[in-house]
Amino acid sequence: MSEAFAVDVDNVVKSFGTLRALDGITLRVRQGEIYGLLGPNGSGKTTLIRAIVGLVAPDSGNVSVLGHSMPDLNILSSVGYMTQAAALYPDLSVEENLRFFAAISGADGNVTEVLKTVELEARRKSVVSTLSGGMRQRCSLACVLVHHPRLLLLDEPTVGVDPQLRVQFWEHFRDMAAAGTTILVSSHVMDEAERCQRLGLIRFGKLLGEGSPAEIRAAAGTNNLEEAFLKLSGRASE
Amino acid sequence: MSAHRIAAITRRLLQQFRHDRRTLALLFVAPLVILSLLGYLIRGGASAPGVGIANEDQGPVGATLASALEKSIKIHTVIINPADGETKLKDGSLVAYIVFPPGFSQLVIQQQVIAPEIHLEGSQPGTQAPVLQALQDALTSFAAASQAAVKFQPNVSYLYGGPNLDQLDYFGAAFIGLILFFLVFVVTIVSFLRERSQGTLERLMASPLRRGEIVVGYMIGFTILALVQAVEVLIFSLYVLKVHNQGNVLLIFGFEVLMALSAVNLGIFLSMFARTEFQAVQFIPLVIVPQVLLSGILFPVSTEPTPLQYISDVLPLTYAVNGLRDVMLKGADLTWPALQLDAGVVAGFCLLLIFAGIGTLRRRIA
Repeated sequence: MSEAFAVDVDNVVKSFGTLRALDGITLRVRQGEIYGLLGPNGSGKTTLIRAIVGLVAPDSGNVSVLGHSMPDLNILSSVGYMTQAAALYPDLSVEENLRFFAAISGADGNVTEVLKTVELEARRKSVVSTLSGGMRQRCSLACVLVHHPRLLLLDEPTVGVDPQLRVQFWEHFRDMAAAGTTILVSSHVMDEAERCQRLGLIRFGKLLGEGSPAEIRAAAGTNNLEEAFLKLSGRASE
Repeated sequence: MSAHRIAAITRRLLQQFRHDRRTLALLFVAPLVILSLLGYLIRGGASAPGVGIANEDQGPVGATLASALEKSIKIHTVIINPADGETKLKDGSLVAYIVFPPGFSQLVIQQQVIAPEIHLEGSQPGTQAPVLQALQDALTSFAAASQAAVKFQPNVSYLYGGPNLDQLDYFGAAFIGLILFFLVFVVTIVSFLRERSQGTLERLMASPLRRGEIVVGYMIGFTILALVQAVEVLIFSLYVLKVHNQGNVLLIFGFEVLMALSAVNLGIFLSMFARTEFQAVQFIPLVIVPQVLLSGILFPVSTEPTPLQYISDVLPLTYAVNGLRDVMLKGADLTWPALQLDAGVVAGFCLLLIFAGIGTLRRRIA
C-alpha cells in the first residue's frame, strides 16, 4: 500500500444479509487522477465509496486512503465525501451550513472563497429549504470542497442537475484535479464517463474492467462507451 | 366527491399500516399494556401505607380504637414508641403515626371529646386520605358501639408542608422535572432522527468528528435549551403559580440539569431503534407513559403493589421526582442521605445513557 495510490481497495468483500454488495473488489486510484466508477443502480458503487471512507466495515479485504489504512479518523480531514442526496441542514442558510461543515473539518477560513467557486454568494443568506434542487446540489458540493480535501469522493454528484450546471461541475473537477486533488466519481451517465481519465466498470460488486475511456471502447470493440459498457457487463452476467 | 377516490385513500392508509407492523402492533398492544398497568397499579392489592400507632392511654378507649385501626385494610399498622415516630416518618417507613395520649379515655368519658394526635409525613399526595379514613371508620364503629355523641377533635401535625399544601404543590414539584424530561426527549429524538434521515449524519461520520464529540455537542446544545426552559418553568411555577418551595432553587436546577442530560441521551439512544419520526413518537407511550405511572408522580411508590415497586425502583424518573419533592416540599439539601441517593442515581443513569448514546452511533455505522 504505497502513497502512490490515493485509494487502494484490496479484495474487499461486504455482504448485507444474503446480498453480496462487494464481491472481492480490487481497485486503485492514482494520485491526482479523475477516476470514474461506472455501473448501474445497485451495482455496489455507493457501498464501495462508503467502504473507502470508512462508513462500511468490509467483511474481508483492506482499504487504504492516502496511505492510511481505513478506518482512520485523522485522514478524513483530507477527504471530501459528497453523498448522493444533497445532505444539508434544510433549516440553516447556505452560509450556516458551510460554516458548520468547515468548522468540523477545521477549515473555518475558506467559506467565502468556496461560496464564490459554486456561485452561491448571492444566496448565502438563503435558507436551504428555499433553494432549487440545483442550488442545493451546489451547496452540497461547496460543503465538501470547503476544507480543500486531497481526495474527493463524489457519489453521483450530478443526479438531478441540469446540463449547464453539470458542465460547470465538471469544470470544477478538472481544475481541482489539475491542482492535484484526486477525484473518485461514481455515475451511470455515459457522457460524464468520457470526462474521466480512467474508468472502472462495476457490476454485482465486482470490477469488470478498467482503463481509459478509449481502452474500454477498444476492449469491447465499439466506438460507443455506452455500448461498450453494456457489452462488458453482458459478458459478466453470462 | 367520488367514492372511488375516497376509497383509494382509505385503502392506501390501511395498506401502509400493513407494511408498518410496528405501528400496527403499537396501536393494539400499547393500550392494553397501559390499561393493565393502571389497573394493576390501582386494584392489584396496592400496599397499604404504613401507619404507626402509639397507645399511651391508660383507659379502654385507646386500645379499642387501636385494635379497630389494626383491622383496617386501608392502612398497615405498626405499634411504635411515640418517641420514634418522627424518625420513622423521616426515613419513609411510615406515612403517619397516631398517638392516643395519656388521659385519652378520660377526656372521652368526661367531655365526649376524642382528641388523638395525628402526625402526618405531609409530602406524599394520596397517603393522607387512607389514614384519616381508617381513623374515621374506627371512630364511627366506636361511636356506634358506645352510643355516645362524641366530638372528634384531632390534633393534626405535619412533618413537612402543612395543611396549606394542595395538590398543585405535590404535582408541581414532580411536573417541573417531568415536563423538561419529556420535551427534551422528544426534541432530541426527532432532531437526531432527522440527522439520520436527511443524510447529514452520514456526512458527519465521514468527517474527522469523533462520536463522542457528536454526542457531547448535542448534549450541550439541547441542555442549554432545556435550561432556559427550566428557568422559565421554575419562575412561572414559583412566582406565578406559587408552588410551594422550601429548598434551594439551585438544587432544583441541578436536578433539572441531570434530567435534561438524561433526556438528550435517551433520545439519541432510542433514535437508533426508529426509522422514521413517526416511529420515534411511538416511544412516548412505551417509554414515557409507564414512567409517569410508576415514578411516584401520581401514586406514591410505597403504596404500589410490591412487584411494581421493583420496577419503580429502577426507573430514573422515580429518583428525580423524589429528589425534586424532597427539595421543594421538605427543604432537603445535599447533606440528606435520601437526596444524595436520588442525585447519585439520576447522575449515574445520566452517565449510563451517555455511553449508550455513543455506543448507538457505533452500531449503525462502522
